[in-house]
Amino acid sequence: MPKHIVRLVILLVASGAIALIAKWFFTAESFYQYGHYRADSVPEMAAQKPVFQTPRYCQSCHSERHAQWSANNHKTVSCEVCHGAAQGHPQEGKLPIPADTRKLCTLCHEAMPGRPRTQPQVALAQHSGGQQCVVCHNPHAPKLAGVVAKVAGDAAAGNRKHAASCASCHGAAGISPNDTWPNLAGQNAAYLVRILAAYKSGDQTDVMMSPMAKTLSDADIQNLAAYYAGLSCQAAPGEGRVGDAAAGKALAKNCAACHGETGIGSNPAWPKLASQKAGYLVNALKTFRAGLRRDPMMAGVTRGLSDADIANLAAYYAAQSCEPVTQARKTQ
Amino acid sequence: MKPEAITSLVARRAFLRKIGRAATCAGAIAATGALGVVQKAAAKSVPAPSRGSFPTPDYDWTQHRWGFGVDATKCIGCLRCVEACKRENNVPADAHHFNTWVERYVYLEGETKARIDSQADPQNIAASGSETEYRFDNRYQDAKVEKAFFVPKLCNQCEHPPCVQVCPTGATYRTQDGVVLIDSKYCIGCQYCVQACPYGARYFNVRTRVSQKCYWCYHRITRGLQPACVEACPVGARIFGDRNDPQSPISLFIRNNRVQVLRPETGNAPNVFYVGIDKEVG
Repeated sequence: MPKHIVRLVILLVASGAIALIAKWFFTAESFYQYGHYRADSVPEMAAQKPVFQTPRYCQSCHSERHAQWSANNHKTVSCEVCHGAAQGHPQEGKLPIPADTRKLCTLCHEAMPGRPRTQPQVALAQHSGGQQCVVCHNPHAPKLAGVVAKVAGDAAAGNRKHAASCASCHGAAGISPNDTWPNLAGQNAAYLVRILAAYKSGDQTDVMMSPMAKTLSDADIQNLAAYYAGLSCQAAPGEGRVGDAAAGKALAKNCAACHGETGIGSNPAWPKLASQKAGYLVNALKTFRAGLRRDPMMAGVTRGLSDADIANLAAYYAAQSCEPVTQARKTQ
Repeated sequence: MKPEAITSLVARRAFLRKIGRAATCAGAIAATGALGVVQKAAAKSVPAPSRGSFPTPDYDWTQHRWGFGVDATKCIGCLRCVEACKRENNVPADAHHFNTWVERYVYLEGETKARIDSQADPQNIAASGSETEYRFDNRYQDAKVEKAFFVPKLCNQCEHPPCVQVCPTGATYRTQDGVVLIDSKYCIGCQYCVQACPYGARYFNVRTRVSQKCYWCYHRITRGLQPACVEACPVGARIFGDRNDPQSPISLFIRNNRVQVLRPETGNAPNVFYVGIDKEVG
């Protein structure tokens, strides 16, 4: 065989051998273990740390919030959808409380073609008048307690019960003699039914009212509500308030969606506030703020109020006329 | 001798000296290499320790067959899945790279073709105000809409994945529990897979120089968690589970609905099952 051919063959065999050795040497050990890939890359992928924890993780510290959230309509919206991923929390800092809820909530609730009909949607232009959603809605319990209780009471029977049990504190005509107890005359019957039932069931407690309400039958509650709702509320707007009604008026814009501009709302499930006793309003707002009166919406809206804010709001509502001279602003 | 000839001789000598040094070095490297081969051979001849469960001690991939369902009749287009996915999987924080995304199909009255947009549409980016936040704008609120719906999309984790077929390095492969993964160390960034996927599920990450796509949050499902998008979905439009378990959400979803897959004609046999989409969705 010619010399140059021999050399060529040797060269080819040598490079083939080098190629084989190189392949064997450079191929990862686990490459063909399960197929034409590096088996070790599977555990490498699986080792990545989860960023999103689960509501169960949040529950371990925020059990109270978790309980409220999981019992309400937003229970399908995981904590981290609004508050961000919990990886590193709490060691590395707090998770945000969304500031712009008009932007956040409308991601799901803006009326939009293509969204299923079952999804609650609002046309932003006709809803809330530019306010943040959290002013009225508690994000953890978003549904408003606006279910109107049925009122079918007998006002005359209510009058008898009133004279026997309630008049001594709430006044013979439902106008309270002092600043601490609320006027009942002209109050929304549906609201009275709801609140008396709450005192009776223990959902709401008060040193004076709880024992009184426990003795009432359901019929009594209906009769009383019908009686008070029918009374005239012409109490002279009060005097000697501590708060600044003008400052209260500015704040009351946040309450107007439910309670109306002057404290007369459109939904009878919520109380009229106009010409209510200022001292009573102050107490009520403070108990909401402290969580002693359990109402998810009021707890949310009172959280940011200072004592001065509360006094101003109370002064404003107490100074309003309880007769609806101008129609309270309708809200949807 | 002429001076030029002397110079050239000196240069030749210097060159030969360099060659000599290089040869010595190559020899040394070859010797070390041979030593490495010997060591490696010794290592390779030892049988690999038998792994009880793979890929993690608490998870055996032979026991699972994952499946994904999308109920488009429930989707509200809130894009929380997209946001969660971005965060969970370190997807580039811009409006053009997504492991999962949502498309909106709108049929206006009198039109025969659907108008399609996704969160990457410029108008939608403008509506969200940022490339890292996602929302659908309300451009059709005053239009005469005949029919409209949202369709979440993600990697279909095909039974016969074309992306795996074209990968020249074995950097992408299908696991035994039915997820197509990418080995970022073996990916050479050739992007054949990006072109091979008929669903547009893959993209090239210019920062890491590897292809990327949805992998059903393999790190979560092997820990018993749901994928991040499923966890985030507020309306239950995304369903995930183990098809080996007849009572898992995905088994019930497939059993109780008339499901379809995207582009069945490709023969890829996708593992994402859809309810409530039109034939136009592909």
